Amino acid sequence: MNGVMLGSTYALLGIGLTLVFGIMRIVNFTHGEFYALGAYMAYLFVAQLGVNFFAAILLATAIGMIVGAALEFFILRRLKTTDIDSVMLLMIGLWIAMQNTEQLIWGGVAKLIPSPFAQQPLVFGPVSVSPLKVFVLVTAIVLLIAFHLLINHTRLGLAMRSTFQDRDVASLMGVNVGTIYMATFALGSGLAAVAGALLGPIFLVSPTMGDLASLKAFAIVILGGLGSTVGATIGGFVLALVEEFGSGYVSADFRDAFSFLVIVAVLILRPQGLFAPKERVG
Amino acid sequence: MLKLENLTVCYGAVTALRDVSIAVGEGELVTLIGANGAGKTTTLKAISGMLPLAAGTITFDGRKIGGATPRQILALGIAHCPEGRRVLPQLTVRENLEMGAFLRHDHAVVRSDMERIFVKLPRLRERVMQVAGTLSGGEQQMLAIARSLMSRPRMILLDEPSLGLAPNITEIIFEIIDDIRRDGTTVLMVEQNALAALDMCDRCYLLETGRVVQSGTGDQMLDDAHVRRAYLGG
Ligand SMILES: Nc1ncnc2c1ncn2[C@@H]1O[C@H](COP(=O)(O)OP(=O)(O)OP(=O)(O)O)[C@@H](O)[C@H]1O
Ligand SMILES: [Mg+2]
Repeated sequence: MNGVMLGSTYALLGIGLTLVFGIMRIVNFTHGEFYALGAYMAYLFVAQLGVNFFAAILLATAIGMIVGAALEFFILRRLKTTDIDSVMLLMIGLWIAMQNTEQLIWGGVAKLIPSPFAQQPLVFGPVSVSPLKVFVLVTAIVLLIAFHLLINHTRLGLAMRSTFQDRDVASLMGVNVGTIYMATFALGSGLAAVAGALLGPIFLVSPTMGDLASLKAFAIVILGGLGSTVGATIGGFVLALVEEFGSGYVSADFRDAFSFLVIVAVLILRPQGLFAPKERVG
Repeated sequence: MLKLENLTVCYGAVTALRDVSIAVGEGELVTLIGANGAGKTTTLKAISGMLPLAAGTITFDGRKIGGATPRQILALGIAHCPEGRRVLPQLTVRENLEMGAFLRHDHAVVRSDMERIFVKLPRLRERVMQVAGTLSGGEQQMLAIARSLMSRPRMILLDEPSLGLAPNITEIIFEIIDDIRRDGTTVLMVEQNALAALDMCDRCYLLETGRVVQSGTGDQMLDDAHVRRAYLGG
């Protein structure tokens, strides 16, 4: 249960990163910071401003999307170069800037987001689960389904997939590629933010939480094949289950080391990702 | 209908087109011929807004369109079917056609337009749910042309529609193009095969290293000594 719950949020995190990479060809080092931003916004609204817990998650996601859209519109779009090294350096700079801003505002001490759910677990026969985790799992699954419907069955999704496959042709078909980039970055950032807002109340919120989130997101994307959203969805669940079983059977101290192991193992054994590239959808 | 005047287009320091003037009248089929690297593709890309103009003007229906985006050009009624087919390989045949109609909102008419295309090109109907990357070269070219038609353009720019196709498939493609112009759509086509290009066009322009060096009706060009020597093998 724990593994599946984590997996569903890892999947959200992973598809956000793979989407930005696939469509915009940007290695998004700020991804984890949007995860942290989502968690901090949830903390701000729930703990500091006393907003309703569910409304706070929604607000945190919306703010993640708006900040993502703004970052694309005011910074990425103004770049005169598409040279991958310069873009990567810029993204690393933004990553550090975002992290330091969080530290400046909220300090280095980890924060707790109070949740309205009862502490005592629900018991179903032999399994017992915490209501908060059930909420996180259900929300994440609903979002995953909504995302796949968006990509595969809407006009925006069709335009995004076309831009992913051939940017010039998409623009010849009348797609405004700039708008698609902004939507993509907003969507990717929103997915990271919602993952952070959902996991924030389960774990603690701290300024460096984004680093680990980025690392895991990269592991998921490499696992699923670069640019494949279906792969990233499955990859999210696979990584979470590896972590769960690894910390259960090997040692809990190594929990976060499994992302590194997964990255190394996949790059050595199957660098194209575990899932066939023909499943790429965007 | 479409007029290019003294067009100059550069890629960085390389000048690909210099002082090119071309006119296409309503309902005409005009072809561009010339050797590899002469600037044919560049001309079409400049028209559809994919490249900025260094100098000169493009007018469509008396309206200056230089500097417009591909989306704006398409909305005015010019569709560009690019060189090398360029179907969207992981989209199905149907989704590719839907992309052609991306700017349209009359969904019922779009569906009947798609139906008309399937009547003309039954091979596409049979493969409607197949991803385009798995079609044969000829089928991909049919799809690319059909996709351009889905925007209901008044003018279509075709870049080497017969490139790399077997003679019998080329013939089918040329029949499709003939159909397009009989429906009243204006065509500006780049064609490597000079004989075929001169045979089917109303008028033709010959490009050499970025300049128009010769133009005229198909028959005039067929009789021209330079054209015969350089492009028709005698
Ligand atoms: N992206 C580019 N960057 C730099 N130079 C380019 C670029 N695209 C084309 N050129 C140059 O511009 C000139 C014209 O190219 P263009 O593609 O228009 O030729 P073409 O007539 O279509 O040739 P072909 O018959 O081979 O398709 C060539 O010298 C080419 O090298
Ligand atoms: Mg060409």
